[in-house]
Amino acid sequence: MFGFSMKNAKESKKESSEEVTAERKDEILRSISLKKDKINQSSEEEQARIYEEIGLAFNELGEEDNAIDSLEKSIEIKKSLGDGYKTLLKLYNKKRSEAAKANDDELLQIYLKKMDRMMQISKDVTRGVR
Amino acid sequence: MGVINFIIQNILTQASVTIALIAMLGLILQKKSIGQVISGSLKTMLGFMVLSAGSSIIVSSLTYFGEIFTKGFHMQGIVPSIEAINGQAMNELGLGRDIALTFLAIFIFNILIARFTKWKYIFLTGQAILWMATMTTVFGYFAGLRGAILIIVGGLIGGIFAVAMPAIAQPFVRKITGMDEIALGHFCTIGYVFEAGVSKLFGEKGEKKKSIEDLKLPTQLEFLQDTYLSVMVVMVPLYVITAAFAGEEFASSLSGNTNYLMYAFLQSIQFVVGVYVLLSGVRLLLGEIVPAFRGIAMRLVPNAKPALDCPVLFPYSPNAVIIGFITTTIGSIIAMFVLPVFGLAMILPGMLTAFFAGGTAGIFGNLTGGRRGAIIGGIFHGFFITLLPALLVTIFNSMGFVNATATDIDTVTVALLYAWIIGPLLKVF
Repeated sequence: MFGFSMKNAKESKKESSEEVTAERKDEILRSISLKKDKINQSSEEEQARIYEEIGLAFNELGEEDNAIDSLEKSIEIKKSLGDGYKTLLKLYNKKRSEAAKANDDELLQIYLKKMDRMMQISKDVTRGVR
Repeated sequence: MGVINFIIQNILTQASVTIALIAMLGLILQKKSIGQVISGSLKTMLGFMVLSAGSSIIVSSLTYFGEIFTKGFHMQGIVPSIEAINGQAMNELGLGRDIALTFLAIFIFNILIARFTKWKYIFLTGQAILWMATMTTVFGYFAGLRGAILIIVGGLIGGIFAVAMPAIAQPFVRKITGMDEIALGHFCTIGYVFEAGVSKLFGEKGEKKKSIEDLKLPTQLEFLQDTYLSVMVVMVPLYVITAAFAGEEFASSLSGNTNYLMYAFLQSIQFVVGVYVLLSGVRLLLGEIVPAFRGIAMRLVPNAKPALDCPVLFPYSPNAVIIGFITTTIGSIIAMFVLPVFGLAMILPGMLTAFFAGGTAGIFGNLTGGRRGAIIGGIFHGFFITLLPALLVTIFNSMGFVNATATDIDTVTVALLYAWIIGPLLKVF
């Protein structure tokens, strides 16, 4: 329909699963540690941005739990709908899928609730609720 | 025997009890403790009662509005509100029990279809399923279906829609989000695809296509911050202006000792109060049922694609949401004046639908036809989502609904399917 195909989805999947080289990994880890040092001296808005950047960096490294932790902190400080939001929703959905496959209802409910919360955040930010 | 008859005739016929029992089933299947099962079931029952109270408030306000509108403008002025339709169907029409059982049946058919076909969509927006169950029950009843058949047919059709709507939206959603793992679960999808088609036809093409996202637009819609405030923004002027047109003499006959304009103002607030109470009831009602059943669904279909509510797309195209809201509102207002010319009822604009359905449709329009496509497509979308509910008004009136029509366009499509195809077929055979 309308000339769309599965191609793009497949391409993006391929991209995200590409392995990070050792050199790039060192670079990312260094940048994460520098950012962590900066957090305490930053304003709230900057803190949210730094946490988002740290979360995205952890995600690139494939450290999903650390990524979720930082991205949640970022959104807790300031709701926003940038790359951090999109990555967090994707990670929640991945965790939800893993919980479903493991037949772990408790964990499944936790991630479903977290995804509900993401919908509310999207509504709030779009409508300008602080 | 006497006891069993008493239970069947006096307890199980109560919609609130049926709904509480459905929640109880879900909680037991989740292996919750006895305490949690009891409290969850009671909360669900309470939710139904709160919903009923909200419905009564809405009906009394809409009855008043209907009278002044007919006097003032010599035609019927219909408020598009799926909440009002649900409330009236559940209570005033006594279809609460059937709606509750259809709601459960839709969940079951959704799971069955996702489990055994290649379409792995599980519809997670509980409120939308309740609206779907309402419409399949009301129109199934209108077509002449009763009892178990009414529920099974409603469940099957609702279940098919719960899978088909995310499936037809998915090619677009993939393009918008760049991923295939999450789907869109919002029963306004036919409108979105309609806008995408119009936008493709009239919009910018190829390299000339410019996305709305390249424009700088105000990103916040302050007056929409609160759901109820945004309903009020429309209802207050609507009621007060209508009362003024109805004239002091007539409107005063309805307002007792209160000034007629003040009374209209208070009645418009009453409508918002009704929606507030009804939606609080819906939240309570679904608070226990939905987590239980979607947990079950996700475990039975482990490779499911969750179909989420429309805000899932907002982050990917925030400007298109604003353009979609504005253009859909414009389209609805055009339809409001044009439809009565063709003998249809006047459908008044609904702010919330214009925002959520319009905003999401804007994203689809921008995707297929850029800025120009989103603007033209949005106006068409507004007209389209006003036209279809207008076609239902005669049936709603004949069934005793007071001054309201449905909104979410996929549920309206289902209603038309019953009214135009299933009903006539039943009459033939």
